[in-house]
Amino acid sequence: MSAPFYKYGLFNDEVSLIVAVFIGLGFGFFLERAGFGNGRKLAAQFYFTDMTVLKVMFTAIVTAMVGVYYLSIFGFLDLSLVYVTPTNLVPQITGGLILGIGFVIGGYCPGTACVSASTGRYDGWAYVAGLFAGILFFGEVFHLFEKFYTSTAMGKVTLPQLFHLPYGLMVFLVCIMALGAFAAAEWGEKKMAAKKED
Amino acid sequence: MKWYESFRKMSLNHKLALALFLFGFIALFAGDPYGGARTEINTKEMALIVEKQVDHVSAVELADWIIKNRADYRLVDLRTEKEFAEYAIPTAENIPLTGLTDAGLQRNEKIILYSEGGIHSAQAWFLLKAKGYKSVYMLFGGLDEWKDQVLFPTQPENPSPEQLAVFAKAKEVSKYFGGTPQTGAESAVTRPQSAMPKLSLPTGGVGTQRPRAKKKEGC
Amino acid sequence: MTSPQQADGFAPKPYWNPYLSGIGLGLVLLAAFVIMGRGLGASGAFSSVVAYGVQKVAPEHANANAFYAEYLGDGTANPLKDWLVFEVIGVFLGGFISGKIGNRVKGKIEKGPRISSRSRLIYAFLGGGLMAIGAKLARGCTSGQALTGGALLNLGSWAFMISVFIGGYAFAYIMRRQWT
Repeated sequence: MSAPFYKYGLFNDEVSLIVAVFIGLGFGFFLERAGFGNGRKLAAQFYFTDMTVLKVMFTAIVTAMVGVYYLSIFGFLDLSLVYVTPTNLVPQITGGLILGIGFVIGGYCPGTACVSASTGRYDGWAYVAGLFAGILFFGEVFHLFEKFYTSTAMGKVTLPQLFHLPYGLMVFLVCIMALGAFAAAEWGEKKMAAKKED
Repeated sequence: MKWYESFRKMSLNHKLALALFLFGFIALFAGDPYGGARTEINTKEMALIVEKQVDHVSAVELADWIIKNRADYRLVDLRTEKEFAEYAIPTAENIPLTGLTDAGLQRNEKIILYSEGGIHSAQAWFLLKAKGYKSVYMLFGGLDEWKDQVLFPTQPENPSPEQLAVFAKAKEVSKYFGGTPQTGAESAVTRPQSAMPKLSLPTGGVGTQRPRAKKKEGC
Repeated sequence: MTSPQQADGFAPKPYWNPYLSGIGLGLVLLAAFVIMGRGLGASGAFSSVVAYGVQKVAPEHANANAFYAEYLGDGTANPLKDWLVFEVIGVFLGGFISGKIGNRVKGKIEKGPRISSRSRLIYAFLGGGLMAIGAKLARGCTSGQALTGGALLNLGSWAFMISVFIGGYAFAYIMRRQWT
């Protein structure tokens, strides 16, 4: 048996949509478990009082990264068939900055807003409405900065390719980085809690 | 078991951290994940495929696919660039044998190989099969067969009505690809003079029926 | 507000250990890679809905627009019959199920004590709008880029992720009245 199943034709498009619902179900479930339906918890990340966002995000990234790595090493998953979004460096950095600002203003990101809305938060619904408006705006003015949007196209580039490092070494480095970030986050939370009590 | 005791006393978070470190550490020595799904070469199975010839596509079949503009396959020409420039089967892309595994062929694609005769494509077939490519086929008889069957089909001597019908169709196909059907006894003589058709049909494997990527797979 | 009151069985339960939720999330992402050969996403689904809506209102306009066209495809299939749209439907359901189990489904507004509900809703709307623009420019949001691309060691995703944190922290002070 070879993965990705869909790309090896184990099931058709119709079935893939059912799979989508179940994947989304798991996604939404764990987002809510983590507390990501709550804008206050998410925004607290940017005030150093609650580092849950960083912890959950990095844990998810390293879990999937390690999983993908070993499944490929064992020959179960063909990594070259897993879609990697091509890089357009400058627009992506710009988008990231705008998105970060939007995050601290709105309190959610698109995925967490869905969870927030479905658990009854009105600010979640307002945010979702904002998302629609923002995309409509983007679509309407797209032609004005289409050139910028497609600039600095680098194709499919991974960090190991960029740094000319073995993939396994990069996996190790990211793991170490994550562990460092977790330790710093735990330490920072304790510091902030102590400061609050003063 | 002192280390076991101390492991048991660790908090859950620390256990997880330790596990992550170990996974990362082993990755240092485990190699590159982009090798694709590893396949045990099942020599018996491969021998069976060879014996039963299910790995073959005939020239007539392929011609039919091209005419129907089918695009669910990739046609790979293994010959040299120069030979490819002179003539290639429409829709083919030129990938030399040495560049085969880094030419961007996907393991879930239907790949049809051809060379001048059949030897190179057979070798390439084994190469790809061993690398875990699922559906690899060879053009039976290679370009030679393509010329005989598609470009310059020869009318059989004293044809039966069925054979005539087949040949009538072959003539149509041949004309589509710019070939010259050979009729009668003079065929053996005229054939060397029959010029290879100019490349009028697009090469490069882009059939119009290729299901257009509906949209990007990302967000 | 989230502190569990032992006496009240209907009080919201505490959230999970973040590392366990993270592992859960990571396994869902891994499942998406293995089953589908693609990662998670969210903003793409909203784009499909917007593109569909614009096409319904002004078909010519939508088809002429390169951005919408990407989500409308070749016209052979309904743009809403899209993987991400169905995935996001799942996100709504999954969030609701988890919220129900944790007694956390409640109609209310999440905000700091120093801001009015009205202002908070306006900020949420604006933030959503800004986020959408950023996500489209970056070709994905926190799910499609940070999580998915992060796990695949995609250069653009890591650059994106770092700039999200920079943007957030840079603007946090200005927005402090909303949250603290």
